[in-house]
Amino acid sequence: MDKNIYGLLAEFDTATQMVDAARAIRDAGYTKTDAFSPFPLHEIDEALGVKKSILPFLVLGGGVAGLLTGLGLQYYVHVIDYPLVVGGRPFFSLPAFIPPMFELTILFAAFTAVFGMLFLNGLPQPYHPVFNVPRFALATREKFFLVIEAKDPKFDYEETKSFMESLNPQEVFDVEE
Amino acid sequence: MTNAKFDAADFQAPAEVNRWRTLALGIGGIFTIIWAIGCFFNVEQGLRSWLLGFIFWGGIGIGSIGILLLQYLTGGAWGVVIRRFAEAGSRTLPLLFILFLPILIGVSSMYEWTHLNDRIIQHRQPYLSIEWWIFRAVLYFVLWGVMVYLLNKWSWQQDQSDNYEDSAKFLADASKFSGPTMVFFVLVVSFAAIDWVMTLDPHWYSTMWGFLFVAGWALSCFCFMVAIMAALADKPPMNRVLGKRHFHDIGKLMLALVMVWAYFNFSQYLIIWSGNLPEETNWYLTRQEGAWGAIGAILIILHFAFPFLVLLSRDIKRNARWLAYLAFFILLLRLVDMYYMIGPSPRIGMHGQEVPFALSFSWMDIVAPIAVGGIWLWWFFGELMKRPLVPVNDPFLENAIEHGKH
Repeated sequence: MDKNIYGLLAEFDTATQMVDAARAIRDAGYTKTDAFSPFPLHEIDEALGVKKSILPFLVLGGGVAGLLTGLGLQYYVHVIDYPLVVGGRPFFSLPAFIPPMFELTILFAAFTAVFGMLFLNGLPQPYHPVFNVPRFALATREKFFLVIEAKDPKFDYEETKSFMESLNPQEVFDVEE
Repeated sequence: MTNAKFDAADFQAPAEVNRWRTLALGIGGIFTIIWAIGCFFNVEQGLRSWLLGFIFWGGIGIGSIGILLLQYLTGGAWGVVIRRFAEAGSRTLPLLFILFLPILIGVSSMYEWTHLNDRIIQHRQPYLSIEWWIFRAVLYFVLWGVMVYLLNKWSWQQDQSDNYEDSAKFLADASKFSGPTMVFFVLVVSFAAIDWVMTLDPHWYSTMWGFLFVAGWALSCFCFMVAIMAALADKPPMNRVLGKRHFHDIGKLMLALVMVWAYFNFSQYLIIWSGNLPEETNWYLTRQEGAWGAIGAILIILHFAFPFLVLLSRDIKRNARWLAYLAFFILLLRLVDMYYMIGPSPRIGMHGQEVPFALSFSWMDIVAPIAVGGIWLWWFFGELMKRPLVPVNDPFLENAIEHGKH
């Protein structure tokens, strides 16, 4: 093998075929895999053995951080830095603090969700090797694709290629780096 | 094209429902007798406890109308699978009217405003007179009755239709009806909540009050329907229909309603706390002392914080059994919430005085909700058995079932 290869790409006609093939790939022990489909497929996460994202926990953390920031900010302003009697109430008046605390919780959680998602999935990504296969453009229209990356510990060009061909794809492509 | 895939005969309620029905009637009957004996000794307390039971169980029945309107408006798979349960809940309305009769007859034995004649009550006389109050209560039932009748009629006709065009047309009728009707529904619930519960405190008022009941009753209804659906999910015929994702979707709506409940309650509190006017703060001052204060804290922690955090988890929402346990838990706290609203309000002849917790808690507060609940469940299960458990001719049924599988 002389060219610098990113991985192997298999094309399928239907979602069912791809999901079945994904299960076979997972069962064969491949881990550096990915799937491409024109529409969301809920069973593909399970079929490829994709681990659950840690994003929900990051969002929870963001929310808690927002809550504490809201509380801390108001506590600093109203109790420490510039105490001012408003309507005869104590400086530390939790009911009045709750709306800003709530707003900052939502803000921080939403920011964590958006930027955490972009950080974890590596978007925006101006270049990805799979686009070197011209037929890959059909992934946005009618075809389903599975890729096994060359950095997979089990990857062996000849063996993996014959394995992928045994899964009844339309075709198996070499993806150049 | 007929929808030959789903045969109404395959989706009848399983035999268990009939057993539950008998059991519910037995328990309801026994506790009603106990309650009636209690009333013999203390009519006022008996009626207040009955009101507690009625507001809790009636909330599930009336909330069902809201859920029906909502799911026709939004569409979606959760609406198709919950529809028949909500319809059965809405058809308990005639029973609810019967259960309301003790309150209607005993209005002057339990509402303090029927005995007061101070400046505020005089000012409110055009609205708050006994005749008007009774007329309005009947009117609410009539308006709800029209909604229940039409929504159930179209759904029944859809079951009978033998072609796709007809079944789609009845769905469209119900959806078109639901938009404007939702506005009326929220208004009627608000007025009913004000008449039946808020006027227990003759002078106090809150502009958030109606929404507390709109959100609270919808939450009660969702929790109850989740419990029933989870109980039926692994038995035929519903094991062919209900999937993890249906519970996931309904769990998300439960989470939303838990938050809305907390939001409305906090809004009311914040407005009254900011205004700091004696005629408004009264209500909370009573409810912040001693045992009432403890119940208030329990509500914040167990009715909001705990279900909120648990429902954030995707795994729990997707597990019918855990979701049903949580739904039972929330239902119990819904009852505590209603008690927190009804319990501390002044007794007849005691306006302006403190109501000690020992005086306002009665054994009938436990007996009456069980009595009302038994009778209500008996009727509910009877209605549930009358129709197939899914709308067999609904154009979206197949999609809705497919949706639940992942």
